[in-house]
Amino acid sequence: MDFDTALIFLEQGVASGIVTGSVYALLAISIVAIFRTTAVANFAVGEIFMAGAYCALYLLVFVKVSPWIAIPATVVVVFGGSALFQAGVLRAVRRSGGPINLVIATLGLSYLLKGVVRQTGFGETPRSFPSLVPNHSLTIGSAFLTWLDLAILTAAMLIMVGFFLMFNYTRLGRAMRALGMNQRAAQLVGVDIGRMNTLIWGLSGALSAAAALLIAPKLLLTADMGTVGTMGFAAAIIGGFSSFPGAVIGGFVIGIAENLVGLFIAAHAIAVTPFVMIILVLVLRPQGIFGGAQEIKKV
Amino acid sequence: MTVRNRWGLLAAMAVTLAGAMPAAAQSDPGVTPTTIKIGVFGPLSGPNMAYGFDVIKAAQMWYDKTNQEGGVNGRKIELVIEDDRCTPDGVIAAVKKLVEQDQVFMLNGGSCSAAVLPAKEYVVRNQIPWLTLNASADGALYPPTGYIFGSTSISMHAAGGSVIDFSAKNFGAKKIAFINHDDAYGSWNHEAAAYVADDEKVELTAQSIQPSVTDVTAPLLKVLAGKPDALVIMTYARPAALIVKRAYELGFDKPIILTQTGSANLDQLVENVGTKDAFKNFYVQDVMADVIGGPKIKWVYDMYKTYYPDLAAQPDHPGAYMPYGVVTAQAVVNALKLAGPDLTREKARLAMSTLKFDTGILGGPIEFRPNDPAGNRRTTYEKFDGTNHTMLPGAYESTWVYKAP
Repeated sequence: MDFDTALIFLEQGVASGIVTGSVYALLAISIVAIFRTTAVANFAVGEIFMAGAYCALYLLVFVKVSPWIAIPATVVVVFGGSALFQAGVLRAVRRSGGPINLVIATLGLSYLLKGVVRQTGFGETPRSFPSLVPNHSLTIGSAFLTWLDLAILTAAMLIMVGFFLMFNYTRLGRAMRALGMNQRAAQLVGVDIGRMNTLIWGLSGALSAAAALLIAPKLLLTADMGTVGTMGFAAAIIGGFSSFPGAVIGGFVIGIAENLVGLFIAAHAIAVTPFVMIILVLVLRPQGIFGGAQEIKKV
Repeated sequence: MTVRNRWGLLAAMAVTLAGAMPAAAQSDPGVTPTTIKIGVFGPLSGPNMAYGFDVIKAAQMWYDKTNQEGGVNGRKIELVIEDDRCTPDGVIAAVKKLVEQDQVFMLNGGSCSAAVLPAKEYVVRNQIPWLTLNASADGALYPPTGYIFGSTSISMHAAGGSVIDFSAKNFGAKKIAFINHDDAYGSWNHEAAAYVADDEKVELTAQSIQPSVTDVTAPLLKVLAGKPDALVIMTYARPAALIVKRAYELGFDKPIILTQTGSANLDQLVENVGTKDAFKNFYVQDVMADVIGGPKIKWVYDMYKTYYPDLAAQPDHPGAYMPYGVVTAQAVVNALKLAGPDLTREKARLAMSTLKFDTGILGGPIEFRPNDPAGNRRTTYEKFDGTNHTMLPGAYESTWVYKAP
């Protein structure tokens, strides 16, 4: 490979990687939000993302409502569904069983959502809904990007900034942080744990729905598209499972690494890249790049 | 012993021997003087029923037509049909039931390549002739066993090899970009593509991607960096749409050929790509002699409507794969005819192993060879502009031949 080609590949790999990485980052934030506040790893994040995409598909393509209605409606539906799952199922599971039962419940949700979508018959053929952005492209340096790519990146960054501001500068965010630090202490100072958990699950669902709305026109919809949730987990592990900035950086790292591996090594190595990175992080820095120092908790 | 008792004993022995003779002549199960029992199986329910439902219906109607015309050497064909749901467990259960409980003479089933493979060992061990329904089934066909035949639609090897033949001969391509999957199907189609490329002195640049790929920019850039004369897409429908779309966005204007692996629903492909401009130089691999509804194969669709008027009135019926059911049933009937009236499984499988005939449906003949149990090696091509299908003349062949390691 000559130098000019290598440079083109490098620029393209980084540019494309930042775009897909921004969506992985949203999913990673969704995972970290729940884990940091409730200590539950949500294995249904990919299928919640998938359900959000199909909700949007149904509204935009079959019911034919305006995107200005379909987009907020999708976010609200997924928010409500996630919150309901927490309030109706997880609360009962938490009362009757240990943390592992909560994880199993999220796995059950993932299978349930996939099964429901398959039953509708919509999930068998890859589908798309219209892009909200014109199909134009531009070149930045040697990197080729479409307007949709830029829209994905911009929207994802805005959502991340909004979440960051909410988490750090609002009363709700303070309550979430308190819950993550010490549930009993948070309860003592008046935080309603049940309500907060429900709200956090709802917010997490909304983030997954936002990720779906952004990337579904690029990915195409199938009942198996939830496997992208694995990238969210990889990003969260790499960045630090308790760190929001880490989740964002982890998302971009995964996205860029995937593309560079595909360009400089081989396309079939793309799939293993996130897992190789997970192993490296777990071996070299188990708490993740931005995770805090390891601590031992009394249980 | 008295003389009367001795004659009585001799008479009893003669009757017993006479009764035993027909049984000795028809020792293979599933065949009687008036019937031949065929075990048919495929996905009749579940998420993959589109691969088998109408294929089985089409096979049924051909068998019924054969019976109406007098059957095979005086014997009517009797079908026992099982639903395998396109899963390995389903196929094994169906095969065992058909063989052990229903005592069929031979098997004609299997629409899903990955699902049929686990039944291979059982079928070969029990020496039962088996023609797959419409599964490519490369894994079950190679190495050849003498009992399993298939790919009356097309094998992955034949699809991969023949698309290179088409690209080289139709476009004069000297450099071909080839994107496939990194699974078993991908290894089969790439093996034959590389073989034919080497044979025809064509440079092949291949990238294998995961079916769940999220971004095709990297593999596409890699293959396009070599400035190919044509791009062959040998992936499933979703990645195929992503590749066509990205190739258009990158300004690639050379011929793009989409193979059988991703072409089940072209209207949805256009919708997923988002613009018909991406299809200005676009070709689709097929195996039929004509486009769907075209004059050469209209008779198959008319026959389906006659046999199944209620089904034909429903959307999505007949399914895209329906005609393959007729082809596979034709192969079974022709092999049984060739095996002759003194029918045994051994004769049936030997007849199948050298069977050659024109189907009136496919672009090329069905031809089984002793060293190659895949029936169809030829593909046809249509130009598709996003709306219209135009059949191109000719059929293109894969010259790949199985060689034992």
